[in-house]
Amino acid sequence: MRALLIVTAMVAAVAAAAPASAGPADTPGFTKAFSCSACHGGAGASRADAVPVLAGMPAWYFKKAIDDYASGRRPSPEMEPFSKMIRTLGVDDVAGYFAAQPRAASPVKLDGAAIGRGRTASSACASCHGADGRGDQAKGAPDLTGQPSGYLLNQMKLFKAEKRSPGDANLTAVKAVMKGIDDATLADLAAYYSSLGR
Amino acid sequence: MARMTRRQFLQASGVALAATSVAGCASGGGSPTATSTPADLAPNRKGRRVIVVGGGWGGATAAKYIRMQDPAIEVILLEPNTRFVSCPFSNLVLSGVRSIDTLTFGYDELRKRHGVKVMHEAATALEPDARRVRLARGFLTYDRLVVAPGIDFQTEQIDGLAEAGDRVLHAWKAGPQTVALAGQLKEMRDDGVFVMSIPPAAYRCPPGPYERACQVAWYLKTRKPRAKLIVLDANQNVISKPALFRAAWQAYPNLEYRASSKVVKVDPTAREVTTEFGDKVRYDVVNVIPPQRAAAIAVQADLVGIDKRWCEVNHVTYESVKAKDIHVVGDSTIGIPAPKSGTVANSMGKIAAIAVVNLLNGRPVPEMPPINTCYSWVSDSEAMAVVNAYRIENGKVVQIEQKLTPGQSALYAQHATAWATSIWADILA
Repeated sequence: MRALLIVTAMVAAVAAAAPASAGPADTPGFTKAFSCSACHGGAGASRADAVPVLAGMPAWYFKKAIDDYASGRRPSPEMEPFSKMIRTLGVDDVAGYFAAQPRAASPVKLDGAAIGRGRTASSACASCHGADGRGDQAKGAPDLTGQPSGYLLNQMKLFKAEKRSPGDANLTAVKAVMKGIDDATLADLAAYYSSLGR
Repeated sequence: MARMTRRQFLQASGVALAATSVAGCASGGGSPTATSTPADLAPNRKGRRVIVVGGGWGGATAAKYIRMQDPAIEVILLEPNTRFVSCPFSNLVLSGVRSIDTLTFGYDELRKRHGVKVMHEAATALEPDARRVRLARGFLTYDRLVVAPGIDFQTEQIDGLAEAGDRVLHAWKAGPQTVALAGQLKEMRDDGVFVMSIPPAAYRCPPGPYERACQVAWYLKTRKPRAKLIVLDANQNVISKPALFRAAWQAYPNLEYRASSKVVKVDPTAREVTTEFGDKVRYDVVNVIPPQRAAAIAVQADLVGIDKRWCEVNHVTYESVKAKDIHVVGDSTIGIPAPKSGTVANSMGKIAAIAVVNLLNGRPVPEMPPINTCYSWVSDSEAMAVVNAYRIENGKVVQIEQKLTPGQSALYAQHATAWATSIWADILA
């Protein structure tokens, strides 16, 4: 509800501020990024459970993800072609566009009990992702807050099954941690980090 | 942002209707309905106006994105249906996995959030020379026109189809026919034969018929295990994701696929279809997906090529190669190496919107390629996908890469649902 109010307020503010000749979408990178909204939501504010929020994503992580998808290091039949396309369009422009968008937490509903259990279980994650879940570029750890819980859970399962970034030496330790956590607890962790920043 | 409710708009139009007396049109183009002098339904234009014909995946997207990029442009969207029903995911209505209500949306957000003037009326003709669109009760003028009328069926290509009326359903435009066909499937006798026919390419949604075959077969397998599905394909092979569909069909021994079996005749009294090689196939329930072309309004306005079926467009601006200031998007186009899919139509709508806004503002048009993602549901819980990425090279769309999912999975089904949630909002919210 809060997210909805924020979005509504944003729309109203943008509409009020827009001069007659320049639309709210007339911002750098908009044209290169607008294809993404078919899956990732308007301005990267994903409403869907299985697709990540791009709005407010730090540029360094967006570019890493695009590089990893395009090179096949992060296998995804859906994102690999689009990552190559983004490279032809200019990844800096697209990354800059999403980084400049207001952070928009996922609106997907969460279970309060799962959030509580996830908080308790989150100590293993905090050393890289931070006590606040906002990540750490120096460690290559992304901001998890406000991402859809379905997306977070799927990624942890892919890590666990060695299907995400297979063979990446930088991720050996984190995958070992995940392999020691049962799927139900991973779901709780996903709910907890999704709840942060809402 | 100037806003107008439909009532206000119609009131203004009504005033205009009474007050104006417009001399006959300059265009030689057909004016099929008016016998008296037509009236300008929205005179007193203060700024630039774009009319969008058709509120489907391409047209509604174009209308929204034009307003997002330049709220000074007045956008009138002409769409006879008051509700938007998604064709993607509608095969799941046949299997009972989804209800049609979950695929049905209104146009209110386009009005309220984006200031699009949505008129639920049909455009009856285009008059490019006069820059007018004709409606039953008058006309509207434009600076630029976006034509997104979708497809019509070439009913005449199948003997008996026109006469069959509602006894033979296509269910290829999601809506009442989808619900009716789902009902026929449910009512079919337990050892019945469901026959579906696939038209020759090109047609709307290349993987759609094969996804439908999966959904019907899944329904029969789980609800009527003695029943059978026969798929009669006019094409020589499955034309989209062939290996993936054939792998998926391993789960459906009740599905019999026959390639190169173009249906040329249907007899609803004998409950029988005939292929071009003379094979006769009896059915209990039939679903004939007829051959297709661009919708009639595009054909009548001569936006189609020599084949009289599809509209060729500029790959950067989506302007018709045959008519100035008219952009065509969606399933009625041809020539761009992208399938007639919902994602492509949505993509074309955005790119055409960029082009329209820049051209109306005297600015160069950026070169933006479309994208494509097509998810197909192979059961109640698993899906697969094909993805295409493109670039512009020398003013033409060329493919960078096509990728298929390695198989079907519940994860891809989650992605399919996410795609639908997002793209419906991208079009309408």
